[in-house]
Amino acid sequence: MENILEGVKDALILLTTLDPEFYTIVRLSLFVSLTATLLAAILAIPAGIVIGIKNFPGRKIIIRIVYTLMSMPPVVIGLIIFLLLLRNGPFGHFSLNFTPTAMIIAQFCLVTPIITGVVINGTKERGQDIRELARTLGASRSQTLWLLIRELRINIMTAVVTGYGRAISEVGAVMVVGGNIRGHTRVMTTTIAMLRNMGEYSLAIATGIVLLLISFIINSLLYYWQQER
Amino acid sequence: MKIQGTGITKVYNQKTVLDIDQFTFESGDFWGIIGPNGSGKSTLLRLISCLTEPSSGKITYELRDKGQAIKRSMTLVFQKPYLLRTSVYNNIAYPLQIRQVHPPEIRQKVEEMLTSFQIESLADQKAWTLSGGEAQKVALARALVFNPELIMLDEPTANIDPGSIMLLEDRLRFHYEKFKPTVLMVTHNLQQTKRLCSKVAFLHEGVIHDQGSIDNVFGPDGTSLVKSFIQQGLI
Repeated sequence: MENILEGVKDALILLTTLDPEFYTIVRLSLFVSLTATLLAAILAIPAGIVIGIKNFPGRKIIIRIVYTLMSMPPVVIGLIIFLLLLRNGPFGHFSLNFTPTAMIIAQFCLVTPIITGVVINGTKERGQDIRELARTLGASRSQTLWLLIRELRINIMTAVVTGYGRAISEVGAVMVVGGNIRGHTRVMTTTIAMLRNMGEYSLAIATGIVLLLISFIINSLLYYWQQER
Repeated sequence: MKIQGTGITKVYNQKTVLDIDQFTFESGDFWGIIGPNGSGKSTLLRLISCLTEPSSGKITYELRDKGQAIKRSMTLVFQKPYLLRTSVYNNIAYPLQIRQVHPPEIRQKVEEMLTSFQIESLADQKAWTLSGGEAQKVALARALVFNPELIMLDEPTANIDPGSIMLLEDRLRFHYEKFKPTVLMVTHNLQQTKRLCSKVAFLHEGVIHDQGSIDNVFGPDGTSLVKSFIQQGLI
């Protein structure tokens, strides 16, 4: 309990003293997770809509694979990406291991199935009705897709927020591919894990509180945007 | 718009739900499509509106194959319409917006529809807060606002209040008399068919069993099957 109270105090100090190293960690955390979520959303939203409304051979097995990947342990994804990016691996010539780019790739792989799965669920429920309405009113293919995105926006927003939440809070994948290098690949979750190993519990709690606070602000902004529309 | 079909079948799960050798709906006719539940009425509308493909056969529109221009000149209103998650005004404006109609013209046409369907006061209301009757008025206004050449209606007045039914019928009749589109209306309401339609097609077990003018199909010369269904109150 003492550590938690100390943590709250340290969190306030961290936020108010404008410690440059801490702000570098926060900035990198946001950059990696938001970039990975954005890239995943660009791929996963149309994919989720198409899988949700179209009937094609293999659709059921694809949905099952997506749902399975939604619960893939981050550390396993991290390990696979790490091995693929190893110097003697298939993508070794890019020299991406222990860089923020590798962390973005790992989180992208983690978040894409989550956004796809949530969008598939929402689309299965109302997608067919929306698609048929668009067709009966004379919408083209692109107008139909845009209408689906507009009509399913709350579901899509939920998918993106869920994906972002998974990205910002995971530690396994970014630890494996990033290596928690100070000033280079250290993010908030890897910092918390490191501080815990060092016995710096209150500082670890403080970082966790800041992480929660940032998530709260981002979720509030998205919630506000969603309500406005 | 004249619609013709030849050798049309539709099979779902190895069951033939529609099997029509030939049909013709002439341009400017108001057809009532009647028949018991499961007779293939809604499937026929779904095929004509290109929502589903026939298992065999071909449908032509003004002797042309379906294309985007044809699809843009027809509409289908469902029994339970899907309204967009926006205001009533935006719902009615949507078909005009996707046709890149100029905003002042959109405003004028939408306002005309709001007045015509007596829903001016609902213009800014969110569509998901409407009652069944109000929702159906919005759906019909949205379908008529772009003046389609072919209007298909799948039980448009089922489960709504008598006042709304009267208004919808009145607006439909007004629009039909003014623009003379081809109208295909699936209905279980015999009186409504007689009030609105000039022609009627009776479907039974996926086959057009009888068709022609109201007087012919419902009159003394009508088939015994139609008479039997009417007597039993099955249509």
